[in-house]
Amino acid sequence: MKKTIYVIAFSILFLSACKNDKKQTESHDASMEETNMHQQDEHSSMDNSSMQGDLKSTTEKNSSSSEIIDAYLQLKNALTEDSKDKAAEAGNKILTAFSNFDMTKLSDEQHMTYMEIMENSKEHAEHIIKSPIDHQREHFEELSKDVNDLIELIGTDKTLYVDFCPMYNNNKGAMWLSETETIKNPYLGSNMPTCGNIQKKIN
Amino acid sequence: MLFFFLIVFVGIQLVPTNHNQSSVISKTEFNNYIVVPKNIQNILKNSCYDCHSNNTNYPWYNKIQPASWFLEKHINEGKKELNFSTFGDYSKRKQKSKLKSIINQIRDDKMPLKSYTLIHRNTKLNELQKKEVIEWFTKLKDSV
Ligand code: HEC
Repeated sequence: MKKTIYVIAFSILFLSACKNDKKQTESHDASMEETNMHQQDEHSSMDNSSMQGDLKSTTEKNSSSSEIIDAYLQLKNALTEDSKDKAAEAGNKILTAFSNFDMTKLSDEQHMTYMEIMENSKEHAEHIIKSPIDHQREHFEELSKDVNDLIELIGTDKTLYVDFCPMYNNNKGAMWLSETETIKNPYLGSNMPTCGNIQKKIN
Repeated sequence: MLFFFLIVFVGIQLVPTNHNQSSVISKTEFNNYIVVPKNIQNILKNSCYDCHSNNTNYPWYNKIQPASWFLEKHINEGKKELNFSTFGDYSKRKQKSKLKSIINQIRDDKMPLKSYTLIHRNTKLNELQKKEVIEWFTKLKDSV
């Protein structure tokens, strides 16, 4: 009997603990943004020297990547505006864009890498759809690498800029792709909209 | 009233749950796939494997409903996100993503889940453990 009461007490504790969980992480997220900005950094910033000068590169003129890139840019722009909801919307578009992508035009070598990029990107998009904004940004960082690799793999007919902000994530820095020459930072948003420089111009 | 509660409580014990236990240790298990130092291994096994592997260590109260249901839900969702038992099956790209995500989750105290560390006190990572794990995973991530 005594044991049963313990068990009941435990279960109730467990139930209430689970309910609290979400709230706690959310308020934590909100405070994260501030602390992130003020934290002293132990790591030196990434080597920036290689990024100077306006590197130009051309890719194969391929429009089949356009829907994915457009959805990605929509996400990027939502994050520059600090809009979690618009970012989530764009996350959905990214999922659709990957589903619509015509894989039959890929070569055998491209196919493997494409599949990996797609699988990874979709997972990031799913997180972006359901997460608070700083977690959206963490996944956006990874997604940016995927989209950049996709462009290297199959090309684009768009003119794009590869930007890099050395301050994000405790001065570890992060890259993103943009359709405009002016820097608008998606990682720090309105806190620091101009952080970043152009690493490379595509097309 | 108490009687009623007891009946319900006993009743729900009869609802079956799947136990997440497997005796097969796969070649692609994190530990076989990558050389993991003992101290990191212990931390992961103790604090993460219950929800992120094919082997959950079930203390007695986790076999009891409704605790068992909640754990089952966490295991299903947790394994979908990250399964140490099949880590080597992920593409390199996905491995890198997951390693990064592990670092972020631990840094931000999001993992292990709070609802879990509340009951399993000894699974919460202290600052030293966090530092060790993050440093090790950061090195690993850069080498994948
Ligand atoms: C009680 C079960 C439980 C334990 C213990 C647990 N996790 Fe999780 N984990 C989950 C669940 C459920 C999710 C998916 C939902 C979420 O993100 O909250 C998850 C998600 C994750 C993710 C993906 C997060 C993302 O959004 O990118 C990572 C990485 C992770 N866990 C790492 C860990 C690590 C490392 C540990 C140990 C230090 C750990 N987890 C312990 C249940 C658990």
